[in-house]
Amino acid sequence: MADKKFRYNLRDHAADYWERSPKWRRVSLSISFIAFFYALPFLNNPLINTPGSDFQSVLFYPVGMYVLMAIGLNIVVGKSGLLDLGYVAFFAIGAYTMAILGTHTSLNFWEILPIGIALAMVSGVLLGTPTLRLRGDYLAIVTLGFGEIVRIVAVNIEAIGGPRGIAGIPTPPDLFKAKFTILDPKPYYWVLLTFTLLIIWMVRRMAARRPGRAWDAIRQDDDVAQLMGVNTLKYKVWAFVLGAAVAGAGGVLYASQILSIVPDQFNLNVSILILACVVFGGIGNLWGVILGAALLAFTPERIRFLSQPRILVFGIALVVMMNLRPDGILPKKKREHFDPNWKTVEESGEGEIK
Amino acid sequence: MTEKLLELKNVTMKFGGVTALNEVNLHVNKGEIAALIGPNGAGKTTVFNVVTGVYKPTSGEVNFNAQSLIGRKRYQVTKMGIARTFQNIRLFGESTALENVVTGADVHSKSGVVGAIFGTPRSRREEAAAVERGMELLEFMGLKHRAGQLGKNLPYGDQRRLEIARALATNPQLLLLDEPAAGFNPAEKVALAATIRKIRDAGYTVLLIEHDMSLIMDISDRVAVLDFGQKIADDVPKVVQNDPRVIEAYLGAPADAS
Ligand SMILES: Nc1ncnc2c1ncn2[C@@H]1O[C@H](COP(=O)(O)OP(=O)(O)OP(=O)(O)O)[C@@H](O)[C@H]1O
Ligand SMILES: [Mg+2]
Repeated sequence: MADKKFRYNLRDHAADYWERSPKWRRVSLSISFIAFFYALPFLNNPLINTPGSDFQSVLFYPVGMYVLMAIGLNIVVGKSGLLDLGYVAFFAIGAYTMAILGTHTSLNFWEILPIGIALAMVSGVLLGTPTLRLRGDYLAIVTLGFGEIVRIVAVNIEAIGGPRGIAGIPTPPDLFKAKFTILDPKPYYWVLLTFTLLIIWMVRRMAARRPGRAWDAIRQDDDVAQLMGVNTLKYKVWAFVLGAAVAGAGGVLYASQILSIVPDQFNLNVSILILACVVFGGIGNLWGVILGAALLAFTPERIRFLSQPRILVFGIALVVMMNLRPDGILPKKKREHFDPNWKTVEESGEGEIK
Repeated sequence: MTEKLLELKNVTMKFGGVTALNEVNLHVNKGEIAALIGPNGAGKTTVFNVVTGVYKPTSGEVNFNAQSLIGRKRYQVTKMGIARTFQNIRLFGESTALENVVTGADVHSKSGVVGAIFGTPRSRREEAAAVERGMELLEFMGLKHRAGQLGKNLPYGDQRRLEIARALATNPQLLLLDEPAAGFNPAEKVALAATIRKIRDAGYTVLLIEHDMSLIMDISDRVAVLDFGQKIADDVPKVVQNDPRVIEAYLGAPADAS
């Protein structure tokens, strides 16, 4: 028990500190936090540098991209408890939308972005509506199949490049004097960071309101959720669609940076890795998931100087971590609240109802 | 005054070879406290499951306010005005007591995901109303001080009471209570009886499954008795209490004694 207390202390202290803070302190803390992340590409610290690969590139991909995708998948897996093993499909749909429209039409990145998100969402609805009636294992298998199907379809359609994929994807037009080129990943990173912040903001709003309660209920006991009036299928499809939207946005941005895509980039490994980020960070806990994804994406780059053995080192580190903290780095744990206004009423039957 | 709120007509429910309900006719009048009793395995919980859409009856009709409930989704049944508790407590253990209740109160909100993201006025209004309703019901059930505690951390009795609060939060016309006094001591039972009366007096109709005879005799207006899936009695408590078939069902057939 004492061990348990010690484990959760840091996070609880941080949360307490935040809750006790006046508004001005929260705002200034948030601003400095956000500013730090916008300035991150300029930080030249030997601790976080990535010898062997360009630090600024690493920030965009894999780190930033994994964080974004993990936040999206966490809505599905963490909040609503739906095991999705084909999440990469939505990322692929976003990327292919950018690639196809970018090379065949005069639409630019900003015009394609909403289309890519919309297409990912539509495929989320199409996949989700029939399959989300299934439970647990079945859903996992169907989504796994979907992820593979999207990739295999891309391989087999010559019109979209078949196994060779699509090259020559245009970069986004300049934005506020920032030029998007293959040589400079910073503007991409800033756009990605902006997406991520926006999504964090949305997820937090949903979590504290009706959708969050519905997802909590569904995850804990689907039958009872229904009997308490939750339209469970609707909220599951929403979770799926929101997750798809996030991955779709990520895919569009990714394709516009990498300039050429091939179907094999969107294989099962990506789905599994994103899921690993979520589990490693702490299923259901937004901050845990962000931290988990950042660490999982960053560590292999940080130890790239080890060359081949790095994957082994990384794997061992993962196994050790998951043994030490089976619920993730920052596990989801609701804190209890006591409000002095909630006076103690000893006996049942006090108060009135209408 | 004797308007039928809920009516089961010739309901049969078979699970493979087991006939849990056999041609059961049952009704609940508006504004009453009706009780459903019977030995273990008689089919009482199955009645609740058939009414709330957990099971689709093998045959028969289930009507609520003269509308058929058969084939409706569970959440639709709840929206129409039927809420229940569970014999084996099924709270959302990882959610706070208040969240549990507000989840029920959400039934009447129209705003969903989009409203929550954009913080539309309607969403804010409905959130505030749902939380207020939740607090009101926690207070009514004597659980206000538990509002911020997780469901799984509440003492046993409070968990049972929280289930009632959560069901009430959906503003049901009909409240189905499955053994709400199970595991209660006599004092708690008396308090619960008073609470159930208060709920009825506030305009709700109650159908109650219970094993405690004195509680049943104390608060119910009408008692139906199930035995091996068949209804064997349905009358005011006094009459049912002295019905030889009921006594037989509870004590075993006289033939068994010999
Ligand atoms: N899902 C199911 N599958 C198979 N049999 C079931 C199912 N649900 C109920 N039964 C059977 O139906 C019969 C009635 O069960 P039910 O739970 O309704 O009894 P009950 O009157 O509520 O009993 P208790 O007082 O023990 O709660 C029992 O024989 C039970 O085993
Ligand atoms: Mg029962």
